[in-house]
Amino acid sequence: MLPILSLILIIIGGVIAGLIGSLTGLGGAVILTPLLVLGLGVPIYYAAGASLIASIATSSGAASAYVKDKITNIKIGMSLEVGTTLGAIAGVLIAAAIYRANAIAIIFILFGVILIFSIYPSMREILKIKNKFKNFKSDKTTKIFQLKGSYYDEKLKKRVRYYGIRWWYSEAIMVFAGVISGLLGVGSGALKVLSLDHMMRLPPKVSAATSDFMIGVTAATGTAIYWELGYMQPFIAGAAAIGVLTGSFLGSKFLNREGNGFIRKLFVVVILILGVQMILRGFGVI
Amino acid sequence: MDANKSIGWILRIGAIISILLILFGMFLLFINNGGSNYTLTQITSHKSKLSTANISTTQIINGISSLDGISYIILGLIVLIATPVLRVLYSVYFFARENNKLYVFITAIVLLDLLIAIFVIPFIMKSL
Repeated sequence: MLPILSLILIIIGGVIAGLIGSLTGLGGAVILTPLLVLGLGVPIYYAAGASLIASIATSSGAASAYVKDKITNIKIGMSLEVGTTLGAIAGVLIAAAIYRANAIAIIFILFGVILIFSIYPSMREILKIKNKFKNFKSDKTTKIFQLKGSYYDEKLKKRVRYYGIRWWYSEAIMVFAGVISGLLGVGSGALKVLSLDHMMRLPPKVSAATSDFMIGVTAATGTAIYWELGYMQPFIAGAAAIGVLTGSFLGSKFLNREGNGFIRKLFVVVILILGVQMILRGFGVI
Repeated sequence: MDANKSIGWILRIGAIISILLILFGMFLLFINNGGSNYTLTQITSHKSKLSTANISTTQIINGISSLDGISYIILGLIVLIATPVLRVLYSVYFFARENNKLYVFITAIVLLDLLIAIFVIPFIMKSL
């Protein structure tokens, strides 16, 4: 393939992943890997390495806005990163063992399953599962870990106060999110949102922003080990980072996350198809 | 300055610097028709043998002064990875200033995890 064509294709893949990521709240990397692997024939370990890099880029790029707007809860994010970083270390070690044993099929199948599962935050919005958030009774961990905060809701035009509960359960899911992140080279945004939503019981906006914020640290943990093992190709990773960052920037600028019902549904279908294809590839069908 | 502002600022600056370095590296790759003793075709091949494992730190440092594209891309990637680490490091400092002992401890553990992942585990795995 012509070098310039190769560059353009990877960047386009990144832009698509970034666009879908910013609309669905997935950060983009979870779609980048199947696009690179199924679409361009990039080996899965290089694609996973590039995805980790893209996750960090979008986390730093997109999350900085939420942090500045004070929607992100820094304390909750930091305290749960204890779990995601430990999990990520374990996940990469498992990935290394799988690659060394040449059992790549496991990675493909697991990736497909996680991809299909990752439509969860979008489905929540599409099916209009109501903002079930209300102030639950605080528990011991609320006090110990100082899990409270408030943010200004543009839509409601008022300050929403909230607090988080069940820190230990939330942390346990975060360990699992970290393992998946390291194992597959993704940010594990969907699992983080699940944990923050259903365990911590945070308002959806705070969950999404805090998850974005956490992804950078989780992905950085895995990246270093991928780097040393040679699962990172600088050209592919660099081009993907440029593409994903551009895509998520365009997405947040021109596509309204609240509206665009049709586009969002279309993207959910794309993610489902990619998930099924990854599983089929894992079983050697395609 | 409040923590949100500083952290948002660290993240944004880190992302911008790293992307500029990567873009400059890409530009150099195409101008020089390759980099780090690989041809452009070898580098851009999707099954390329070039990976982060076979480029040494000395090679990167020398490459920066000789305007080698791969070295600039790698430098950009290193800045990108360092950004969240800096963000955690800053949080340790911030909570220490606030005298929040529990959160100094928590952020220090996260920092320790990151440093172990970056400096200790790769070293152990290499020697296996």
